[in-house]
Amino acid sequence: MGYFDVDDVLADAVEVPCKFQLEVAQVGFLAGQPGESVARNSKLELPLWLARILAIVGAGDGEGDGDGDTPFVELLPPDTFAARVMNAVKADPVALDLHAVSPYFYALAVKWVNLFSDAELGETVARLLLARAQEINSNAANVTLVERTLDDLAGPLASRQNGVHHSSPFMLTMDEWEKTVYKEAHEAYRDSKKWLLQ
Amino acid sequence: MYGDLGNKLIIEAKRTQQLQSRRNGIRDGTANVSIPQYNDALVRGIIAEVEQIRESGAGGDAAAGQCAHFVNLLCLERNKRCLLSYHKMRSEIMDGMAWAGTAGDVLSGGGGATDSTLSDQLGNLSHSEQSYLQQYTDLLTQMKSAPAFADIDLAGSLTPPSDIFIDVRVLKDAGEIQTEYGTFNLVKDSQFYVRQSDVESLIQQGYLQKI
Repeated sequence: MGYFDVDDVLADAVEVPCKFQLEVAQVGFLAGQPGESVARNSKLELPLWLARILAIVGAGDGEGDGDGDTPFVELLPPDTFAARVMNAVKADPVALDLHAVSPYFYALAVKWVNLFSDAELGETVARLLLARAQEINSNAANVTLVERTLDDLAGPLASRQNGVHHSSPFMLTMDEWEKTVYKEAHEAYRDSKKWLLQ
Repeated sequence: MYGDLGNKLIIEAKRTQQLQSRRNGIRDGTANVSIPQYNDALVRGIIAEVEQIRESGAGGDAAAGQCAHFVNLLCLERNKRCLLSYHKMRSEIMDGMAWAGTAGDVLSGGGGATDSTLSDQLGNLSHSEQSYLQQYTDLLTQMKSAPAFADIDLAGSLTPPSDIFIDVRVLKDAGEIQTEYGTFNLVKDSQFYVRQSDVESLIQQGYLQKI
């Protein structure tokens, strides 16, 4: 999650819907019309790295900490955390295609919870992670010490193409962070099995 | 929109990382590092974009002006982060090369390289990266020869050896070496049964191959 972390940079580029609270000239490029102004109350999809700051900083008279001002934009809840998705999460975490919802679901959720102190979302995501972690673990525990299965480390997609190692459909629904968890778990299982057999 | 170029660069970085981890997975930890072509066009594009944002000079005292100013500032920050992240990712690969001992082969343009993939690597680095790799390698050599580390082989393999003596095959002529078990004349394609610790550095340099 560091400044240089490629995954984090990518997660920051996810676009979220925003509503402009005031008319702003010179930023028409945000809406794909360079040189134009963005009208008040217009809705735009802005990347998180832009929206996050604009939503907490407001125009002031140059003094004060900006708390009393209206922020430049208002963040609208993105589709990622729509009630539809949250219901699916509560219904069956394992069956949910998380990758389709957002490849950076957890990273987004963490940012969102931080922004809005949304405790309920935090708890839902924690339960989601708990349920899915068990599934990830049982997938990762499937180790055979054959050279070709090492291809699995490249990710579930590669193993599907090779067709060597039977991967469950669940592996295709993992988000990017879950993939790294899977990869590390798989490597740990492989290493311990190797050690036991030696 | 501003920032799109930076995104492209980061997607490329992500792909490189995935390839890297995949390769390391297959070779099981043995360092085989390769670095893709430096994306000069994209980096130049981003820098041009930064210049453009700076020159646009949006701003003003009104709330709208402040907002425009903020947007521009954030775009600059974003581009900076994308560029830094990309270059950090590449410098980490280069550090790996230096530690794996392949940096010398890469820098010499593959002249003495045993692995043909190494010879293409030099062209994939930008000029600054070449001098970075050179200086990092020099620094590493200096550290390895420092009195404090004189007794430790810092670049040695982390996996404990399974045998004291190993069979090695000579890949290219390396002249004579002397060990406490006698003198070996390393002629190409010959085989020897030697003590592993004696020839470890030669294996790393690519003169010998463990069988």
